[in-house]
Amino acid sequence: MSAETTSPNNNSQPNGDGGTPSEDSAGTYECNICLETANDPVVSMCGHLFCWPCLHQWLETRRQRQTCPVCKAGISKDKVIPIYGRGNPNPQDPREKLPPRPPGQRTEPEGSGAFPNFGFGGDGGFQFSFGIGAFPFGIFASTFNFNDGRPAPPAHGSPQEAEEQFLSKVFLWVAIIFIFWLLIA
Amino acid sequence: MANIAEQRIRREFKEVVKSDEVAACNIKVELVNDTYTHLRGEIMGPPDTPYEGGRFQLEIKIPETYPFNPPLVKFLTKIWHPNISSVTGAICLDILKDQWAAAMTLRTVLLSLQALLAAAEPDDPQDAVVAQQYKEHPEIFRRTALHWTSVFAKGPKKDKELEDKVASLINMGFEEHQARVALSTNQWDLTRAAEYCLS
Repeated sequence: MSAETTSPNNNSQPNGDGGTPSEDSAGTYECNICLETANDPVVSMCGHLFCWPCLHQWLETRRQRQTCPVCKAGISKDKVIPIYGRGNPNPQDPREKLPPRPPGQRTEPEGSGAFPNFGFGGDGGFQFSFGIGAFPFGIFASTFNFNDGRPAPPAHGSPQEAEEQFLSKVFLWVAIIFIFWLLIA
Repeated sequence: MANIAEQRIRREFKEVVKSDEVAACNIKVELVNDTYTHLRGEIMGPPDTPYEGGRFQLEIKIPETYPFNPPLVKFLTKIWHPNISSVTGAICLDILKDQWAAAMTLRTVLLSLQALLAAAEPDDPQDAVVAQQYKEHPEIFRRTALHWTSVFAKGPKKDKELEDKVASLINMGFEEHQARVALSTNQWDLTRAAEYCLS
């Protein structure tokens, strides 16, 4: 019943009236905010199309609670994808305009195998990502001379040794205070 | 006015005029001035409610920042509803405040208001007196809302008993609207309503 009543009005069918694109099919590419054909189009993760300037202004208006204007799903500048058509009549790069449109996100295909352990990023990356946790132990390691390959300790009884003992005590106390601060904070 | 607001209202205006709801006379929008900043809406009272058959006029003001901020809407027709002020017509509806979304249109706002008439939220009231009556005396609330619909919104059903009570307060020398508000507020008790008018 309902299918019968809607089909005669459904102009978006491919063999609808004539060669000109009907109003309905043009509506498919309308921005959900300004209701015009989307200009610098971006699409949200929930699949809703917007002009980038319109969506940018919406996100600026609702800074603290950014939701999709259509379905209220969570949305953010990083989670929208620009759409690049082929026959762009405007040669200017849309991202150079203000506000800049967010760049496309390019994911490496899985199983490329070129850098199997690339994600680890080396020891430097490890140290940085665990910075807070590893820091006090780093101090212990240097205080108690766990590491090899460092200059030999100064001779017994020399003023340099006394100075280093003093320094190491200072750093030990700094480390203890830091750990204490970590515990109470 | 910002260009986007006016252009959008133009488009929405066409959309509302063409929509099925207008064909069914459920909602209506008309222009008040040429700049598309001030519109007049109208919704039909939804069926199976005390508002059935009534026509409720709305004032719609479009802010310059539309559609990023909601339109300012209030009832011009007096209405007895927990979420609408019986004095000013101000509406308490989340989508007209913090739950507004830029993809909403005049059409969806009017349909939401119609849905609000069908499903009141007495726990988030705009008019505390009405909300209290809605909770404590639902049958009196229904009759009062029906009476207000027939008096102010050209509703078809008249309640002779309530009209007689208003008439008797008028005979005591009170102004008609004051009498109606006093009776509605005091569960249609003539003595208390008279005291309410005097206080």
